[in-house]
Amino acid sequence: MDIQWSFAIKVIPTILNGLKNTLIIAALGIMSGFIIGLIAGVAGSGKHGIAYKISTLYVGLIRGTPLMVQALYIYFAIPTMLHFELNSMTAGILAIGLNSGAYISEIVRGAILSIDIGQNEAGICLGLSRMQINTSIIFPQALKIMLPGLGNQFIISIKDTSLLTAIGVAEMTHQASRAVTTTFRTVETYTALALVYLVLCNGLSFLLKKMEERMK
Amino acid sequence: MADTVLNITHLSKSFGDLEVLKDINVVIHKGEVISIIGPSGSGKSTFLRCINLLERPNHGVIVYNGDIVTDEGYDVRQLHKEIGMVFQRFNLFPHKTVLENIMLAPVKLKMGNKAEIEEEAMALLRKVGLESKKNEMPRNLSGGQQQRVAIARALAMNPKVLLFDEPTSALDPELVGEVLQVMQTLASEGMTMVVVTHEMGFAREVSDHLIFMEEGFIVEEGNPKEIFAHPKQERTRQFLSSVL
Repeated sequence: MDIQWSFAIKVIPTILNGLKNTLIIAALGIMSGFIIGLIAGVAGSGKHGIAYKISTLYVGLIRGTPLMVQALYIYFAIPTMLHFELNSMTAGILAIGLNSGAYISEIVRGAILSIDIGQNEAGICLGLSRMQINTSIIFPQALKIMLPGLGNQFIISIKDTSLLTAIGVAEMTHQASRAVTTTFRTVETYTALALVYLVLCNGLSFLLKKMEERMK
Repeated sequence: MADTVLNITHLSKSFGDLEVLKDINVVIHKGEVISIIGPSGSGKSTFLRCINLLERPNHGVIVYNGDIVTDEGYDVRQLHKEIGMVFQRFNLFPHKTVLENIMLAPVKLKMGNKAEIEEEAMALLRKVGLESKKNEMPRNLSGGQQQRVAIARALAMNPKVLLFDEPTSALDPELVGEVLQVMQTLASEGMTMVVVTHEMGFAREVSDHLIFMEEGFIVEEGNPKEIFAHPKQERTRQFLSSVL
């Protein structure tokens, strides 16, 4: 089959039909991942108690299995075991959230542990509570350190949404694959798909960099 | 001497198998300035950090103004509000301005309305001679200036006792004087102070009571001028002759 590059342009609107779902899953997934990661990261930096153990177990579980398997498990296995139904979008958001949460928790944990112990001691010696020390002294400093890692994870999560085609989420990769099954134009379609991701991820990367500069 | 503020009896502290403090007994009176000297690794800083329970002693009792603060049920935060600490490495909050560093705890602990707290913080900055630096970030200050801000920050809590953990050890020699000057002013105003220091001049001239520690023990204590002139213990004599 001859390659028609004009088709690559023609197929972009079809691919962009999935952009909304890609963005919804990425945004909600990353937001929940950030919340999960913050909680697990704080628990994981404590080194003691049940919260630390749960956090370690969670991170180990997620890092030790592929995202695709996690998505399949959340979408097919868990609802079958517990007798309920889950739509693929919700399963996708859960998968991205739980997956990125584990990596974000390590970013958070690393950032918190990198703050000088003297900062904590200064807070204690001023009579501040644990919560006040964390929110006014430790987190604001840790956030600056987290930013590059968080940005990186956000971009990874956007790209990870492409794996959710395996559970039938109508995101961009899914739309592209469907276009291929009817047109057989693999080169043009997947080139267009790759370009859309490239623009999306580098655009975000640019915005994150600007944000980082402003924080400095 | 006046009222007892802190009464420390049979204090000991270990890190793993290493016994850092061995049966320390010290009484601290109101308005007294105590200097603790000794070679590094003698347990001076650990002792200081046990006084405000930044380190939990393994044994012994600390009584602060009649309360047994080493008891399990005691609210340690109350102790921290009343006993301030100044650190060797200042430990200013690098993301806050000088003024914000001083105001942070009083604001968080609702010690007054913001205007009052700011007014008080400015008075403290004037006291340490850094009024003009109120909007600077700590990284733009010299070590001596940072330590003076740290002292002002501790004073903002209106502490009854101030602990100093080698406050001038991280400073360039020419910046030591300005910090000692502030400490001397506090001492003359009647602040109760416990100072771990290598500044023998300060220990001799400013403090009312001197403690010489080595290997976790108090080897000798008493009037600073007497100890400097006529140390009773051989180890004290050796130490003083090596540092003077």
